[in-house]
Amino acid sequence: MIDSVILVVQVVLLVVGCLFFGVGTLGLFRFSDTLCRIHALTKIDNLGLGFIALALLPQASSLATGLKVVLIWLLALAASATSAHLVARAVRSGDKTGTGRKRGNG
Amino acid sequence: MALFGAFCLRTAGLYLVWWVMTEGDSSGLGFGAVIVVLVGLLSCKLYSPSGYALHPLATLRFAGFFMLRSVVAGVDVGRRLLSPSVPVNPGYLTVTTSLPAGGPRWLLANTLSLMPGTLSVRLQGASLELHCLDLDQPIDADVRSAERKIAGVFGLRPAGAGETTP
Amino acid sequence: MTLTLNTVAVFLLGNLLVAFVRIWRGPHPADRMLASQLFGTTGVALLLVLAEAQGMPSLRDVALILALLSVLAVVGFVTRRGLRENGHD
Repeated sequence: MIDSVILVVQVVLLVVGCLFFGVGTLGLFRFSDTLCRIHALTKIDNLGLGFIALALLPQASSLATGLKVVLIWLLALAASATSAHLVARAVRSGDKTGTGRKRGNG
Repeated sequence: MALFGAFCLRTAGLYLVWWVMTEGDSSGLGFGAVIVVLVGLLSCKLYSPSGYALHPLATLRFAGFFMLRSVVAGVDVGRRLLSPSVPVNPGYLTVTTSLPAGGPRWLLANTLSLMPGTLSVRLQGASLELHCLDLDQPIDADVRSAERKIAGVFGLRPAGAGETTP
Repeated sequence: MTLTLNTVAVFLLGNLLVAFVRIWRGPHPADRMLASQLFGTTGVALLLVLAEAQGMPSLRDVALILALLSVLAVVGFVTRRGLRENGHD
């Protein structure tokens, strides 16, 4: 009984996670400027990853494996926030100095 | 003595991470102990203890706040995306934070990137430039509440509110 | 359960492929750099799902490394373009 409830919850979480990933990808096409795309990608994809990680937790064979999934999620969260900040800063500096400062070749 | 305490805490934390990363494999634990002590020594040499103590209860509260707000953030962006007109009003906003430099400010910038409608663009001194998805939202109030939670995590007294300039 | 996980994996892979259209089209170099962030989230999710579906625990290590490398790629991009601030942050 408990097993089937967990299974249903897992499938629901997986579907929700997939939906978020789908919407995040949609954001890459529907938003017209780069910074809005970063918004979509950072927030929605991290949520999708969170749901999928949560769905995989009952599947974990040991406590350490479960904690590892959580650790990977936290790392991906920090990585995504840092990348978003760095790309946004690069875009902003590009705005301020015009589109210039392009490399001559390469 | 504070240094020794920090060393013990970091080494214990690193050993836990080692155990998690090897998925509890017992054959790696001895080797891990040596590595962890070396890394602990190195980390204390490179990054001397900051003097902040993390408050466990406030950290838990922050984690709950963070998860709730990231769900709101995801749903918010998703809602905008799925509505036919894509209602966004993007723009830049500069806020001044009252948090001290270092860890607290860094945590605030990264947290705000994952909160609804804000993306930290540039952190210069105490001023933090944000890109906002919708300038009509009460962004200042959101920033202040995140600030208060982070101040709690680091055990800081909530200082007076900074100012916001568009 | 394995079937569900495999379906999820295929969906995520399809997502990555669709996102590549954006990376292909650009136009801003930063748009292309979003690929790295995609690998950092969608790629990690894909690997975590596959690790369970295929019974290959080592794929979780790959996911961990992918998440780490995605940041380094972005740092490289920002530095290479010479767009980094002169001051410090």
